[in-house]
Amino acid sequence: MSELRHFLVTIESLEEKELIIDQLMQEYSDDLLHLVYTYVKNRTTAEDLTQEIFIKCYEKLGQFSQRSSIKTWVYRIACNHCKDYLRSWHYRKITLNEKIFDYIPSKSIHVEEEIIAKNEEESLTQAVMNLPIKYREAVFLHYYEEMPLAEISKVTSVNINTIKTRLKRAKELLKDKLIKED
Amino acid sequence: MDNPFNNLKNVMKKTVFKDLTFSNERKDAVKEAIQGKQSQLNLHSWKESTIIALLETLQLESRDGYDISTLLFQKHELCFQNNEGQLYTLLHLLENKGILSSKWINEKKYYTLTTKGKKYAAAYKQESTKQLTSLKHLIEEASL
Repeated sequence: MSELRHFLVTIESLEEKELIIDQLMQEYSDDLLHLVYTYVKNRTTAEDLTQEIFIKCYEKLGQFSQRSSIKTWVYRIACNHCKDYLRSWHYRKITLNEKIFDYIPSKSIHVEEEIIAKNEEESLTQAVMNLPIKYREAVFLHYYEEMPLAEISKVTSVNINTIKTRLKRAKELLKDKLIKED
Repeated sequence: MDNPFNNLKNVMKKTVFKDLTFSNERKDAVKEAIQGKQSQLNLHSWKESTIIALLETLQLESRDGYDISTLLFQKHELCFQNNEGQLYTLLHLLENKGILSSKWINEKKYYTLTTKGKKYAAAYKQESTKQLTSLKHLIEEASL
């Protein structure tokens, strides 16, 4: 009898888990996709990784201990997953090889970039996207996601004062860059 | 100069993130993957011949996962070829159902048929000659 109950509870919690993931996708999938994109800067890769992140959430849901909000927990998984990807063999060997082509000067790309840079909004976005990852991450979470510093600290496992410094430093880097362009 | 980030949210939405949404196809792919994982937890999604072959490898002695995998391969049970991880999913499932028990010896996990497991393996052999009930059925019944 207890075995039957156990079996039913498992089934129930499986369905519940599926439902939770479904809700998380409705609520956060676009924001997460944007977060992932700021790390990897490629739409298809960002979509693949976001997909993996939700599957990971499903697998780890049992470990969610309610000590933080579910949003913080999901974002933490997402940040770690992106960083794992950027550290991975695949990314370092294959993606970077492809990137070498970006450094070979090409007239058409150059012209294109100039046209884009004329647009003020584009140049701000580009400047943010070109910040080193630790600054980009902090800027995105604070100004795009509008997360409080304490939450950013939880999501990224970085000390709150370090986050403050990074935001300040990012602002300086960006001002330098934008002034140069003017 | 005021804070360049003040308007960042709107600006990014208009530029890099324009039309960047997690599509319904992507959401469905996640749901499908999750359902796939769930069905592995259900004995019915495994081929009967695979389960039998696995139980047979343990009939004489306890073995670790690697041993079982090699033996299955020798028996031409190719279900886990290039997909060895699945074997452990099935082993855990059978352990949860009380068909197998396991023990750690020298950092290896050895699996053994429990009395229940032996009973069902034997019952299957008898039944299969009569072609009556399936082993799966018996196991499912036993776990209820």
